[in-house]
Amino acid sequence: MSTVTSVEEASRERAMTGIQLLDERLGGGFQRNSTLLLFSEIPAEKRIFAEHFVMAGIKNGETCLYVDFFRAPQLARREFTKFGSYPEDRLVIVDATSSQLLLPTSEKYAIGDVGNLDEIFDVVSEAIRDAKPQRVVIDSLEFLADRFPTERVLDFWRKLTAEAREVGSTLCFLFINWTYSSAGIERMRDLTDYVVEFQSTISGGVVRSMMQVEELREGGMKTNWVPYTFRDIVGVTVYFPRVLVTGPFNAGKSTVVKNLCSTSVSIDRMGTTVAFDYGNVNTMGLEADVFGTPGQERFEFIFKIFAREVNGILLVVDATRPEDFERARKMLELVGPGLPFVIVANKSDLPDALPPQRIKEIIGLGEDVHIVAAVATRGIGLREAFKDLAQQIIGVK
Amino acid sequence: MLKTFPPSAEIEELTTGPPTVNSFPSNYSILLAGPPGVGKLEYFLELVKQGLEQGKRIVFVTLDLHPAEVRERAKANGLDLADYEGRTFLFVDCYSAMSNDRLEHDPRKRMYQVSSFSNLEGIGMAMTKASNDLKTPVMIFFYTVSTLFLHNTPQAIAKFIQIVTSRVKTTLGFIAYAVHEGVHDQMTMNLLRSLVDGVIEARFKEDLAREIRIHHMRGLRPSTAWGTIGQRIQMTATRATGSAISRGNGP
Repeated sequence: MSTVTSVEEASRERAMTGIQLLDERLGGGFQRNSTLLLFSEIPAEKRIFAEHFVMAGIKNGETCLYVDFFRAPQLARREFTKFGSYPEDRLVIVDATSSQLLLPTSEKYAIGDVGNLDEIFDVVSEAIRDAKPQRVVIDSLEFLADRFPTERVLDFWRKLTAEAREVGSTLCFLFINWTYSSAGIERMRDLTDYVVEFQSTISGGVVRSMMQVEELREGGMKTNWVPYTFRDIVGVTVYFPRVLVTGPFNAGKSTVVKNLCSTSVSIDRMGTTVAFDYGNVNTMGLEADVFGTPGQERFEFIFKIFAREVNGILLVVDATRPEDFERARKMLELVGPGLPFVIVANKSDLPDALPPQRIKEIIGLGEDVHIVAAVATRGIGLREAFKDLAQQIIGVK
Repeated sequence: MLKTFPPSAEIEELTTGPPTVNSFPSNYSILLAGPPGVGKLEYFLELVKQGLEQGKRIVFVTLDLHPAEVRERAKANGLDLADYEGRTFLFVDCYSAMSNDRLEHDPRKRMYQVSSFSNLEGIGMAMTKASNDLKTPVMIFFYTVSTLFLHNTPQAIAKFIQIVTSRVKTTLGFIAYAVHEGVHDQMTMNLLRSLVDGVIEARFKEDLAREIRIHHMRGLRPSTAWGTIGQRIQMTATRATGSAISRGNGP
């Protein structure tokens, strides 16, 4: 069974995010007719996700409605082109900004007075009834939360949810919490089917974005914090800034980096890595920067530099050399406990290669460890191992 | 993790004139309060000028004026921003998108634009990105907080300033907010004062002469005497940080 086919089949009942790994975790996407809360406590890149979600719908032939309190529609439409060109009539905008700027609007749906919550509701629900959009985004709820009493905002939410259900829309609220207490947030969660929480951290002068998807129904899924970035045209991409490829001397780490990545560079001396290998892999809607460490103990100082902020580890072992497995286990410990990893059983085409199950037993990292038989020189098993690792990093609780 | 303050020796001792760009520790926040027209922008631009000439990197967040107007005002004060813009100086422009047709699209002038004063999240993100773009640490000048109050509740603004200030102090560098005095109630002013490390006040005297002073600076003991804006006047400050406070000649 191919996952791609199942995703396509699911797109009727599911609103794909267009982020493949996430869609797989969501069983094809968000349940249609559901309500999403895109939430953060501090400023984060939420809007890009909302825009991506809208464009994923439009690229899938759907009509989407975007209620914008912060951008004049000309600006909003122009900013959407960062996802590539799109049929403009598929994007219906409710213009809640022009009146704030005392400007005329060219949009069919516009809110004349953003201080009037009833009018806001009337215009948005009229747009929903007319356009019957498959996806609706409200950008942003904090605009309302900061202007109207909590009860009225929650009532607006309930009524809008009912309107969206009526036409089968997936409804999506952006919200940064400037004003509500945690009790207020809880009440919002009660009205929501999915919460996507966003974080942004600064590390080494780079802003890193992460999101976590949680399905709120009983027994629903919850991902780990998923790092992501934005790429022109492609949109939101799951991005791991640091995947480490490590393992004992001569296990084939450099070959793994080279044959897994579309671009790579190795700093070596006579075929042995003395500094590190670096590569960038971009596959299956997923991008990662991959760093290969040297295997020899005398280079462990470099190892320690790379071991910081690691997303996950490919632990490469030579399947014909069980005497090195102890060293492999030690190297894993060096990076730090608790990180997702996959054992790449390299050289598994050689006649004396041990089968994965046997390697698992000898290496002694428990029965649950993931291991993939690979032949790095021919690229066999590498993508499987990488995908397995990616799924572990994203995780589901 | 909080970066450590620079050694106190690096903080300039104030002997003459209003506080200079070297009067402030890094990882620090300041509120500049004064009535409209007293010279808050002029003072900010003077600090910007000093900073740029010393090779500091500066982010200017403008909510009250179009960047073009800020450039003109800077020029009138002897600072040609064209020499620095895109290299060690960046605008976060929250103004021109609100005036729509005047959106700047000059690709040579790298700029961070925010589409709306109510989009506090957008302002926060743009400040972070601009700072990282220039490379931290930076000095951020925010002109003015008052404009935010036209479009957001004090509660939302307070949380915004709290979050931004803490991010600036942990990772970005230094920030100075300007606020118009006399347009907010006393509680709001007190709230704003409580969110920063130091307060600088500017005022008109009866003859409309303009004065400025340091009201307080956490961890330091500056002189709080009034001095004249635009003139080099005698103004003393004694440095005192941490345990050294008792050494100071404070009041």
